[in-house]
Amino acid sequence: MTALDVAGLRLELGAFVLGELSLNLPDDEIMVVLGPNGAGKSVLLETIAGFHRAVRGRIAVRGRDVTALSPEKRHIGFVVQNFGLFPHLTVAQNIALAASLRRDGAERRSRVDVSELLRRFGIAHLADSGPVVLSPGEKQRAALARAEASHPDLFLLDEPFSALDAQARDGLRFELARFLRDMRAPAIFVTHDRVDVAALGTRVALMREGRIIQCGAVDDVFRRPTSRTAAEILGIENRLPGRVEAADGRYALVRVGDAVLRAASAVGRAIADEVCVAIRAEDIRLTPSANAPAIADENRLAGAVVALQPLGPLTRVVLDCGIRLVACLMTRDVAPLGLAAGAPATAIFSVSDTCAVEP
Amino acid sequence: MRAVRPLWRAPESLGSPAVLLAVWLAGGLLLAFILLPILELFAVQTAGTILRVARQVDVRDALALSVVASLLTAVVAAVFGVPFALLLARAEFVGKSALAAIVDLPLTVPHTVAGIALLMVFGRQGVLGAPIGSLIGLRFWGTLAGIVVAMLFVSVPYTVNAARIAFENVDPRLEMVARTLGMGPLQVLARVTLPLAWRGIATGLTLTFARSISEFGAVVILVYYPMTAPVLIYEMFLRYGLENASAAAALLLLVSLVLFVLFRHVAYGSRRPVGGGR
Repeated sequence: MTALDVAGLRLELGAFVLGELSLNLPDDEIMVVLGPNGAGKSVLLETIAGFHRAVRGRIAVRGRDVTALSPEKRHIGFVVQNFGLFPHLTVAQNIALAASLRRDGAERRSRVDVSELLRRFGIAHLADSGPVVLSPGEKQRAALARAEASHPDLFLLDEPFSALDAQARDGLRFELARFLRDMRAPAIFVTHDRVDVAALGTRVALMREGRIIQCGAVDDVFRRPTSRTAAEILGIENRLPGRVEAADGRYALVRVGDAVLRAASAVGRAIADEVCVAIRAEDIRLTPSANAPAIADENRLAGAVVALQPLGPLTRVVLDCGIRLVACLMTRDVAPLGLAAGAPATAIFSVSDTCAVEP
Repeated sequence: MRAVRPLWRAPESLGSPAVLLAVWLAGGLLLAFILLPILELFAVQTAGTILRVARQVDVRDALALSVVASLLTAVVAAVFGVPFALLLARAEFVGKSALAAIVDLPLTVPHTVAGIALLMVFGRQGVLGAPIGSLIGLRFWGTLAGIVVAMLFVSVPYTVNAARIAFENVDPRLEMVARTLGMGPLQVLARVTLPLAWRGIATGLTLTFARSISEFGAVVILVYYPMTAPVLIYEMFLRYGLENASAAAALLLLVSLVLFVLFRHVAYGSRRPVGGGR
């Protein structure tokens, strides 16, 4: 069964246009929608929840067409920034309110027991507390318990962590993933933070300017972006313009400036196609000597270090290899490799990590 | 977060102790300027003089009329002002700031001017007063309705403005969450928006009440009889002099202050849940 089926959705909100876009979320899966601010991620969620009327398209939740329904009839659990607990009610009252509003339906089970929910989410001791005094983690649990009390068919989470500092976020992410898995709840999680993607999602959709650029399983999308924009959203730092020179069954030769790189996913592209070569900074290894033995399925570019940018445990190394490359390595490896501004360095990266994508 | 400092320690932004001293001197004079007349009003009274005016029927009637009219005004302000405040807080439309400015207009109109303008509209020959009088028999001259109209004109901006700010401070995302939990728009209003905005609305209504009970200028022109307390005090001052008027004045002040404190207690007494297991 599909948890969510969005087909040909288009929304106009003043000057902003969402879509036209289609989305499909299988049951028990969590999709992370990743994109920069202003991409329309929140508008997409609000449209699915029923707060904006689409110009075109169809939205179905668990096979039920909800396109024309108001938000209260869509059976959706909505979690917002700071978790959106009602501050004038205690935690228990928040959950009880949701339980009392539970929709009548075929699958109506026995009365939701508020104390049972409090226990399941580990917040029984907070039942009579006001939301104001809760820690972010406790708020998250209370918000999930409240949403669960109304038995939603689909969870929508709109950047619930965006007001939190990085430390608080780290713990909450995995706890959220665990709760969503335990509830076996399909969910869409909207964020601009790449770290959320792998931690929470099984699927990811990349979004920009009201459109979905790429969508698929998390690993596939991370390893195989299909366009320059996708590479940018995924945080792939090296995005080099190039032209396909030759292609055979295994890889393609792409000319980037003075260098020729072998790229795995250029297979199938025609000669003379303009492409963008995307290489993750983390996938580039560095060696000081220009003439280490060459290994098959690797690209090598000799050059010199332009600058070192320390980031704590990691260091960004900017290289001039005829083309500008950025590598990212463990800071503790910088000294043994003799890396310093002006020092020679050869960049080595595997062909399979070299993606030729839409420019 | 800002630490609470003792009174005599200067906040950094004020700089030297000399500046602080000057600021305290100015502020202290201001406080004295406000408190001195009020304290003086009570200081010259004895329990006897206040009790004596409190036993006068005309004083009691005027006080009761003032309280009833002010409470009615607050109710009318709530009925007409709070929904409009919600509209101003939530809806975006062309001319919204112009409408908000119209609401503020009574604050800039001298109250005697307001009284004369109201008389021209709600008086015996007024553009509204005449037809309403002949159609449903509701008259605004010499009646409670007239007093409420005069009070409402000068005091309703406080309710609209306070309620508007209160509604604006309710996070729209809370209302969204409430909708997805299964509440219709009216249910969201009753169970989320109004409870969260209640304090601000109550503050506005309290201010409207306080402004109404102290109103003289607009009321005296539209409705001289029956007399509200401020009008009676004015007449006592003209007829019997300062001493008599001041006893009634102290009594009115006492009643308004007690009611003011009571309303504030009602508004702020309903505490939100905070403590609990932590």
